[in-house]
Amino acid sequence: MAQRHLIIGGGTAGINAIRTIREEERERSEIALVAAERPYSRMVLPYYLDRSIAESHVYTATPRVLADWGVTSRIGRRATALDTQAGVCTLDDGTTLEYDDCLIATGSSAVRAPVPGADGRAVHSFWTLEEARAVLAGIRPRSHVVLVGAGFIAFTILNSILSLGARLTIVEVAPRILPRMIDDTGAGLVARWLADHGVTVRTGVTLTRIEDAKGGKRLVFASGAPLACDLVIMATGITTNLEWLQGSGVGVNRGVVVDEHLRSSVPSVYAAGDVAEGRDRISGEAAVHAIEPTAQEHGRVAGANMAGKDVRYRGSVLINIVEVCHLDVASFGAWDDPKAEAASGLMADRPAYRKLLWRGDRLTGAIILGPSSDIWTTNDVGMLKGLVQSGVALGRFKAHLMAQPFDVKPAFIASRTTSRLLDETILGRPAKAPGDTPVAV
Amino acid sequence: MRVLAIHPEKCTGCLRCELACSYVQTGEFQPAKSVIRVSPFEGHTSYAPYTCTQCAEGWCMTACPVGAITINAAGAKDVLDDRCVGCKLCTIACPYGTMFYDPGTRKAFKCNLCGGAPACAEACPTAAITYEETWTGDWLGDFAHERTARILEIR
Repeated sequence: MAQRHLIIGGGTAGINAIRTIREEERERSEIALVAAERPYSRMVLPYYLDRSIAESHVYTATPRVLADWGVTSRIGRRATALDTQAGVCTLDDGTTLEYDDCLIATGSSAVRAPVPGADGRAVHSFWTLEEARAVLAGIRPRSHVVLVGAGFIAFTILNSILSLGARLTIVEVAPRILPRMIDDTGAGLVARWLADHGVTVRTGVTLTRIEDAKGGKRLVFASGAPLACDLVIMATGITTNLEWLQGSGVGVNRGVVVDEHLRSSVPSVYAAGDVAEGRDRISGEAAVHAIEPTAQEHGRVAGANMAGKDVRYRGSVLINIVEVCHLDVASFGAWDDPKAEAASGLMADRPAYRKLLWRGDRLTGAIILGPSSDIWTTNDVGMLKGLVQSGVALGRFKAHLMAQPFDVKPAFIASRTTSRLLDETILGRPAKAPGDTPVAV
Repeated sequence: MRVLAIHPEKCTGCLRCELACSYVQTGEFQPAKSVIRVSPFEGHTSYAPYTCTQCAEGWCMTACPVGAITINAAGAKDVLDDRCVGCKLCTIACPYGTMFYDPGTRKAFKCNLCGGAPACAEACPTAAITYEETWTGDWLGDFAHERTARILEIR
């Protein structure tokens, strides 16, 4: 009998796992997919919101593609329980699916600030495609939009809201913006840049309730003047979708704890993406990295192992980039490591900032901020990622980079970073192009 | 497959490769949009061009959330403009710094080996860039190491 794989979750991790199983398996297996929504890329929703792409562009695996891959899909269903002894998954319609091995890729969900009115009219999250549709339908030119929360998720849709012709105010409970993505200096530069681009930012304010007001909404704070607006978007964090695993026997900490094969405490159960607690490549410690590249790499490694390969994962590198009104803001690895040695550079004539963090002569983290139109901004983001990812010993080039953090390229090349990187692949073989995955005959 | 082999000791820093690249890729002589870039070493006494190695992992390709980066007939990773949304994820996923973003078109761009007839190799007057059937490698590492180390010593 063919091996039966069950993929629970149709996001980046789940779809990459399915592709990789088909690429790696020796004998054709059965694959079932349970997904609450049609598979799409959350990463590109901001571009759907600003109307630069059609809704059809967001889908990653259409029904046709899933059929070509020979996947039995249960779209619109959620898993509610996992019996790991029997190898049975129960869905929210009461039906069950048997499996030989399964992948937990149930991702995470948006969380709203727990205040009265948070679930009221014209208050949205921006996490799912359905929520994106609702926000798009609710914004008019000259609408006043308030973003509650100044984290990475909020910043990914900032440009889109502005490009729809809306006025934007950001309110944040913390004393500064982007607290989990860049340091104080970088955040200060972004805050000034936003002010120059007509975006109002109010930090250190505690939202207490959201009321209906004449024709709109009113936000009330613990102190300070209330704020009137037309539409509220809550970007107040995400939570890992783990609760359905209670009683399953699958070991859970901040996420499903997985080993270097992406296998959980139950050998027939794997986990990948936002829901998995894997290895942080830089610190070597367990971490949940709720980012697209980690979901993609986790999904591929899990898929290869489910297909019978022995692929070990070296861990994920935390990488984030967001563009704020043509200002690129990115961070890599252990950018907030308090024990690291740090050097930074700030250009006097433009919003350009670098911070490099070191353990010994290895770069373990970096922050980079600069205008998107500066060639070296996009040139150097990749090289900084390469230095952090490869952990190449920089030796005497460390002193050079400490003194001149904007001069990354000579140090990157002269440290032979390329030769360190060239042999590295996630699956131990060249990656296949999208569309080159074997299909059912 | 055929790759761009770089022979840094032959480079004179004339920048013809950048002009040719930008012209073929964008229709304009605009080195700022070239995807092969010449760097100076040893205080501008030597130069070498640097570009995508078409690495086996294809970090840009695997990172793309919408499958907008594929492998073209020449074996190069290539951006499909009508699929790319401009999210820049590829620019931070590529560990070599050879993935670029054009704020004008809001698209990522990179070396696609000009589909099999690379303009940089054609334009190079000293054969510092050749297009040949060979293993790709770290063409500049040893060259740059020696020259950069000498400069650090003088300082």
